[in-house]
Amino acid sequence: MFCKVLSAGLGGMDAYPVRVEADVSEGMPGFQMVGYLASEVREAADRVRTALRNNGCPLPPKRITVNLAPAAVKKAGSRYDLAVAAAVLGATERIPTEGLARLMIAGELSLSGQVLGISGVLPLVEMAKRKGIRRCIVPTVNAGEGAVLDQIEVIGVADLQELMEILRHPEKARVTWVDREKLWREKRSMSAEGADDFSQIHGQAAVRRAAEVAAAGMHNFLMIGPSGSGKTMIARRIPGILPSLSLEECLELTRIYSVAGLLPEKQALLTERPFRAPHHTTTAEALAGGGKIPKPGQISLSSGGILFLDELPEFRRTALEILRQPLEEQKVCISRTAGTYTFPADFMLVAAMNPCACGYFPDRNRCRCTPREILRYLEKISQPLLDRIDICVEVPKLSCRELQGRGSSESSENIRKRVEAARQMQKERCEKKGMADCVNARLGFGDMERYCVLEEKERKLLEDAYERLKLSARGYHRTIRVARTIADLEQSERIREPHILEALGYRPPNRNDWMREV
Amino acid sequence: MEAYWQWLCSSLFYDPGLAHRLVKMYGSPGEVYLRKEEELQKAFPGKEGCIASLCGSRASWSFEWEQERLKRQDIRFVSFEHPEYPKKLRNLTDAPCGLFFRGELPEEEKPAAALVGARDCTAYGSNGARWFARELAGAGVQIISGMARGVDGAAHRGALEAGGASFGVLAGGVDICYPESNRDIYMELEQRGGILSEAPPGVRPLRHYFPLRNRILSGLSDMVLIIEARQKSGSLITADYGLEQGKEVYALPGPVGSALSEGCNRLIQQGAGIALSPEQLLEELHILPGIQGKKKKKNKISLERSENLVYSCLRLQAQNLETICGETGLAPGEVLRVLSGLQIKGHAKEVYKNYYTRT
Repeated sequence: MFCKVLSAGLGGMDAYPVRVEADVSEGMPGFQMVGYLASEVREAADRVRTALRNNGCPLPPKRITVNLAPAAVKKAGSRYDLAVAAAVLGATERIPTEGLARLMIAGELSLSGQVLGISGVLPLVEMAKRKGIRRCIVPTVNAGEGAVLDQIEVIGVADLQELMEILRHPEKARVTWVDREKLWREKRSMSAEGADDFSQIHGQAAVRRAAEVAAAGMHNFLMIGPSGSGKTMIARRIPGILPSLSLEECLELTRIYSVAGLLPEKQALLTERPFRAPHHTTTAEALAGGGKIPKPGQISLSSGGILFLDELPEFRRTALEILRQPLEEQKVCISRTAGTYTFPADFMLVAAMNPCACGYFPDRNRCRCTPREILRYLEKISQPLLDRIDICVEVPKLSCRELQGRGSSESSENIRKRVEAARQMQKERCEKKGMADCVNARLGFGDMERYCVLEEKERKLLEDAYERLKLSARGYHRTIRVARTIADLEQSERIREPHILEALGYRPPNRNDWMREV
Repeated sequence: MEAYWQWLCSSLFYDPGLAHRLVKMYGSPGEVYLRKEEELQKAFPGKEGCIASLCGSRASWSFEWEQERLKRQDIRFVSFEHPEYPKKLRNLTDAPCGLFFRGELPEEEKPAAALVGARDCTAYGSNGARWFARELAGAGVQIISGMARGVDGAAHRGALEAGGASFGVLAGGVDICYPESNRDIYMELEQRGGILSEAPPGVRPLRHYFPLRNRILSGLSDMVLIIEARQKSGSLITADYGLEQGKEVYALPGPVGSALSEGCNRLIQQGAGIALSPEQLLEELHILPGIQGKKKKKNKISLERSENLVYSCLRLQAQNLETICGETGLAPGEVLRVLSGLQIKGHAKEVYKNYYTRT
């Protein structure tokens, strides 16, 4: 007898339907799987057969053929086991087959019949919803992440017995239900009392201001300072001053983590902005995403939040250069023989570095690096990457008095309120002109002409600065974008002189004239 | 005769003392050229290596080719006996037997000052060197330095900015720009001053040539000014040569506790002149043309109140943003704004991220 069940595969961020067909016929007893399968999929035959036998359903001594269609696409991963089991059960008439057509089934089986968790349940369920399927059966541990979508029923199964029960009596199934609005609201109030707070940082007024401006416009941020001056501490606190994620952003973020299989257990929805800090020995593939069928890398996992690169010059050149495209386009394209995969990468880059190899420059009493050594250290970061950093600031070493100072600094919550107000301005401005929501750091040339109107005085000032400070073309536009954010923080619709001047103060160094005269 | 001098200089540039003794003994470099090796070896026991290489060089030496090569590379040569040989050098005990140069030699009648200092200097050093060089050169003093990174380069730049003449004394051949990063200075010195060296063209600037070159630096000048030097520093060798040669030696005082000013401060303690301003040095050199007028013009910078406040915190040493905020009591955003304005107006400079100096 023939039976088919719908399952799904994952390529990049999106799922595609895979039909699992099973046929039982007379002939030499055997269990054959076909359909361009990776070895872990082919092994499903043994897992399914053993699991069925251990759950009181030994397979008849007949010829069983399972096909995964479309046959032209390579199938990998362990998520087809459950669908194969269901199709075989249907083909051997252990369960009624008429309901199977309206189901999507995915999950891994253990030999005992236990159902194990898989990655990418959210995009799988999303695909099913698009295809008009009303019901999905997934492992219990992943049921929550699928259930954050509405208008589709997600049912979690813990073992094979439960699956058979549901397939025999669909009306008895317990649908997993998640109130995503509630999850979203709850987490928001909880994260407000998080442990990391800007009030724990003493002194560093200039850096705090710069971080605020960076957060208000999602500008890429570079901190230069000796070790132990608090660069990492500050970076860790930046997610806390970014505006809370909207529900759509939460869903998007959850999707990425679901695909990567990194969603924490029992957490249906990610509601906090990610903070990823890969070690400086990381490879380009780990940053951008890699594998035969690529998985999201660190830059995608930090989407909507912060990618923190500590000790920036210590990173491999190839790893750093891979950031260029994502920094411009907020996505990363990875090409493999099987196709091109696109992952979102809408992150804010926060980087930290020492001023020189020993870390003490320009304190010449302690730093004995020669100018050439310092230049070589700086040269590890390419100028194109440096050009993509909007805000650069020095983090000086603290004096003892500042270290001992009580935490009288401003709290993250206060800063976040100002940042949110500035974001609100950016949002309204975009809405007024009928554009998609766009933070200042992502303004294109066309948008800048519309949103960053300069008057004669400001234009003249920028002209002088361009000549005098030897700005590059990219630097010129960067200054306007940052000035736009500073104006937004002051709730000023017009960009005025002081905004431009402050923005100029944050410009990253131009390597070529930096060490020339020091 | 010059041709023989050139041969002697090219072959024995690293030991001018021996070269002079040879010439004294035999009358002229031409005579030295004709002597047999055994005779020379007998006359100068203990110098076997030098003599051997000198005699060995005769075989491969072609007078025409060497002359041709100088012409081709636009390099000139003056020997110790040449009328154009700098008089200031002639009296030195170990005067170079000859000088290879591009551009010109320093003018004899005009005063000259040597500005030297550390390679890995601070912003204070490079700004100081630039300032002194600019003012001195503006008053007609020729600035002589070693074209090295750091202080030397800044001194040349300052002199060239003021439109004055400047001379670089190299340790290697004059056709080799060392360091390569100062290529711009090298090109300009050729036009607006000179590049000179005791070593023949093509000689790499080796470490042990540098101390010897310093005696030419100080020898060519009337005054030696040390800008920044660590306690153990090559610049102090120049100061020592200056003292030996009877030149005025000045040092730029620096903050106590700064390792890079320790050498200078120690020199002052030992009796070197203290360089307080370019005007003071010009006075010591007995030239003070039109400085009064210039000074007035300089003070006429008109600044706003907050700009004035911030500007008054700027020094020749680099100050970081945090310090300026602390001194002025202004918010960092405000200080950044003012500093950007000052930079655009050309009154301040960012020497490293968030470190600022006056210009």
